[in-house]
Amino acid sequence: MTLFTLENICFDVPGRRLIDGLSLSVGTGITALVGRNGSAKSTLLKMLAAQTHPSVGTIQYAGKNLQDWKARDFARDLAFLPQVTPPTEGLLLRELIALGRYPWRGALGRLGPEDHRLIDAAIAQCGLEDKRDQLVDTLSGGERQRGWIAMMLAQGARTLLLDEPISALDVAHQVEVLGLLRDTVRRRGISAVVVLHDVNMAVRFCDHVIALDTGRVTLQGEVRELLDPAALLRIYGVPMQVIDAEPTPVVHPL
Amino acid sequence: MIRLFFVAALSSIALWGLAALSALPLSQWASPFANPATLLPEQIFFAFGLMPRAGIALLIGGLLGLSGALMQAVLRNPLADPTTLGVASGAQLALVGATLLWPEALALGRGPVALFGGAVTAGLVMALGARRGFAPVTVTICGMLVGMLASAISTALTLGQGHYLLSLVIWNGGALSQDSWHGVFRLMATLVLGGVAAALLARPLVVLSLGGATAKALGAQVGLTRFAALSLAVILSGMVSAEVGLVGFVGLAAPALVRRLGARSVTQVLLWSPLAGALLLSVSDSALMALAALGGPEMPTGALTGLIGGPVLIALLPKLRNIVPPETERSDLIAPRATHPWKRVAAIVCVTLILTALSLLGGRGPDGWGIISGDIAATFLPLRATAILAAASAGALLALSGAVLQRLTANPMAAPEVLGVTGGAALGYAATLFLFSVPSPFTLAFGSSTGAAVTLIILSAYAMRSDMAPARLLLAGLAVGAFASALLAAVMASGDPRAWSLLGWLAGSASRASVSGALALSVMAVVGLGASLLVSRWFDILPLGAGVARGVGLPLGRVRLGLVLGAGLATGAASVLVGPVSFIGLMAPHIARSLGLVRPASFLAASWCLGVLLMTVAAFGARTASYPYDLPLGLFATLIGAPWLFVALLGRRHS
Repeated sequence: MTLFTLENICFDVPGRRLIDGLSLSVGTGITALVGRNGSAKSTLLKMLAAQTHPSVGTIQYAGKNLQDWKARDFARDLAFLPQVTPPTEGLLLRELIALGRYPWRGALGRLGPEDHRLIDAAIAQCGLEDKRDQLVDTLSGGERQRGWIAMMLAQGARTLLLDEPISALDVAHQVEVLGLLRDTVRRRGISAVVVLHDVNMAVRFCDHVIALDTGRVTLQGEVRELLDPAALLRIYGVPMQVIDAEPTPVVHPL
Repeated sequence: MIRLFFVAALSSIALWGLAALSALPLSQWASPFANPATLLPEQIFFAFGLMPRAGIALLIGGLLGLSGALMQAVLRNPLADPTTLGVASGAQLALVGATLLWPEALALGRGPVALFGGAVTAGLVMALGARRGFAPVTVTICGMLVGMLASAISTALTLGQGHYLLSLVIWNGGALSQDSWHGVFRLMATLVLGGVAAALLARPLVVLSLGGATAKALGAQVGLTRFAALSLAVILSGMVSAEVGLVGFVGLAAPALVRRLGARSVTQVLLWSPLAGALLLSVSDSALMALAALGGPEMPTGALTGLIGGPVLIALLPKLRNIVPPETERSDLIAPRATHPWKRVAAIVCVTLILTALSLLGGRGPDGWGIISGDIAATFLPLRATAILAAASAGALLALSGAVLQRLTANPMAAPEVLGVTGGAALGYAATLFLFSVPSPFTLAFGSSTGAAVTLIILSAYAMRSDMAPARLLLAGLAVGAFASALLAAVMASGDPRAWSLLGWLAGSASRASVSGALALSVMAVVGLGASLLVSRWFDILPLGAGVARGVGLPLGRVRLGLVLGAGLATGAASVLVGPVSFIGLMAPHIARSLGLVRPASFLAASWCLGVLLMTVAAFGARTASYPYDLPLGLFATLIGAPWLFVALLGRRHS
């Protein structure tokens, strides 16, 4: 099934065209968005999240143009996590996660039992029961990232968009956060698009891959297709080898 | 770059020649070395007025350009300059204070007095900046706040003396008129010595431009270099202040200009900035002279540079993103959080009610301190109640605007004053004064609100255009404020009697409030509180930034526009009463935060209430301190608030 359909997208920044005529469709499941620095993967993700808008072209989500979505309806359906999560002065973890109910309750509506059930479920799913009354700013990096993911889950969205969710984490927390993401997506039957730098993490935790190079798709398909030295050379411009390993083969630059 | 400078120099000479020719035909031009006894009065004016003026414009521009380049290099802040760091206003305050209170001090010359004032404000701003890692935007905001405080006290001193000190006001406007060559010689010596010192500091500054930690690793004396370069910059700008007064923004524009023209390294910027500054000011001054010669209005040069500086500051803002590492603007302390916030709010409400009642009934009468009673009560209580209601409502409105803006921008230094709204309101007030022969209070209120609204529309347009990095909105507001105060300085310097009424308004007073005005303000304050509490969930989401806010479906553009407009209207209405600067809008939210009220609803309610409390106390002080005369309300609020604020800011952050 198709989540996003992009037709002939261009994106301009002052002085240059970052994306030129990109057409693409993104399906369900977990899709990794990979590519070199400056390959416009973050820009693409922000356009999918309607955080920025293409200079030319249209993007459809669930069969409807992004411009035609109402802001709150869109947020009920799709949740977005920016690359750098902001400081949360004075917010407790449960209060942060409760903000995920904003698309449903707005500025005035009271949170009902159903909202609290969903908030508690999100906290439980992310394994944060014992942290719920702590200040978000005092949590560790991995816990904080799980907290933000819990907020996205409380939002009740069918699609999660995450921009480099593991870039500031050590390897243990990387596995923890991506594992949580994969389990959640599977259990809830939802979809996710994740910008990732690490090919091995993409191979291990994602279903599909879209590789970008200066605004052009260089590879799209099953994530296994990444395990090919020729494809990797095309994506990253450095020769890489694929080493057989468990549970998935790993890639390593030569 | 050289070709452009050449063109600028030629046009400056041409404009100056135009002004000089209209004063005196070419055949009569006299040499400055001629014996004055043999000259005609016009020739004396030419040789000892017009010619040194051309020289002084070049020198001052050069000094300010060098001073600005030094400050920008030390602080790694493209927005640093003697105006934005408050140094110029500090020098101004010292000179005004010395003229009015201690004229003997001026026997030493204006230089040392101006230097003292500049050094004190620079020290204060640096101490504040050091707490926040010299983050550029924060340092600039601190500097401009310190500058505003100094200007407010200067205004109050001028007003308090009761004389219209024309010379002082003209000096404030930065007029370059000369009557001898002495100023030129003094400044030339300063520029030569300053240039040598800057050349000695150039290499350490290059190393420092890599950042404090890297510079230390390279073996540089970081603290010493910073201190020496900043002292030099303060001395240079202090000498300028002593000679001609406030000439704003040349120090900001000159380095920006040479960077735009291709100067990359610190050394290049230090070398070219004085030249660019000299030419910039020379062209501006010659243009003003030519304009006056052709029958245009006489304007102080400082007012003109202010008019140029505001837009330059705004134009620089988009470039800031690449230079500033994002983390440096963040606060680094985990805020305290009260367990029972509403109990604290209730306590604040109780204290406020008690103090308001006391200030209503108690006070100073013909028989000294006491409770008002009997006949006097029947006559005066309604008047006093009106004044207190008006002051309290104005305080509440300012505090609420401050709280809203701090949440909106996620910056604890955001304040209604910083938004430039009050500057816009002052301009509107001034325009009304000059447009209507006998303006009614209502017309004046309408005029200042219109001024505030226009400022807000400009700001909102800016906010909508560039995704409003909140810090940049604040700086845009500061630029608008600088623009407004430059215009006001020009109005004052015109010597028009209506300027007196403007000066009085700038200080603010509660006793002017009418019953209907006070009631309108209080209705606004209550409605404002109710509305902001209704949407308090927004204030949870907004500090998390644009990405998250859009992510949860907040219609960000409309919310921001609505909040900025609301805050601006509230500020404009309140500043009709209390004048443009009071710091209540900055202080009240700060106190609320330091009491651990971080959740939006309790934070907004407590800020509102603290605004009432502070303004009531200020009104009481203004009423009683020099009974039977009312002191300016805004001034009193500033004097209570500002020191407390600086202590709080200095003490709060420990990195």
